[in-house]
Amino acid sequence: MKAFRRSRHRFVAVFDPDEASTLSLLASQVSDLIENRASHGTDPALLRLLPDAYPDDAEASAEFRRFTADDLATRKAANARRIVVDLAPAAGAMSATTVKVDAQSAQAWVRSLTDIRLTIAARLGIETDGDVESGDAVLRDLYDWLGFVQSSLVDCLDR
Amino acid sequence: MSDVLEQTELVESTVLDSSWVTIVWNDPVNLMNYVSWVFRSYFGFSRAEADVRMLQVHHDGRAVVATGGREDMERHVEAMHDFGLWATLAKADA
Repeated sequence: MKAFRRSRHRFVAVFDPDEASTLSLLASQVSDLIENRASHGTDPALLRLLPDAYPDDAEASAEFRRFTADDLATRKAANARRIVVDLAPAAGAMSATTVKVDAQSAQAWVRSLTDIRLTIAARLGIETDGDVESGDAVLRDLYDWLGFVQSSLVDCLDR
Repeated sequence: MSDVLEQTELVESTVLDSSWVTIVWNDPVNLMNYVSWVFRSYFGFSRAEADVRMLQVHHDGRAVVATGGREDMERHVEAMHDFGLWATLAKADA
């Protein structure tokens, strides 16, 4: 992986095939989780992706959810699918491949990388700043790597 | 007289419109540069102001990022959820 850099109006990174496949798979899983959220109602990842808007008012939170959750879920699933589409050539390649993301796609990527990291954090049980070393080591490495990918993209968006 | 009435209405609507706040809460997942970028790109904060609010979230556990009417604050909270930030709204005096 070579971190994102900005090239005129595009954001460019280099992914190894296994990196692209892994990120693509994670994005698909998050997309599936969000789209099938009715059957995962109490999943802590979903509660973090679509949190209560009124922490002390369950009724108002439910009302807010009724009016916003479908649109939010649709956008989050579309963002995740954008990653899958953009990574498809790199995931199917035999060697490290340059991935070019346009400005609109970058907005989807940076949001979905957040959603993926939030989901993995929920699986790892990371709930406070002190929990950063918890959970499965492989998933933990993946989580850190996704933070690196996202951070490099944010730095490019910032310029 | 009408001026006074209009002023009274203005004061009342201003009071009503600042009766809710949008709060962003600290979480261990979101990156500091991302939170600052979200505040700048969505709320239009300067880099300095965005960093102050981001650090407030990080150190104090929460920061008020907007004040106004309930519908506007719900719109902001939805936008923050779109970015993956943990945001809630509350009455300003709560």
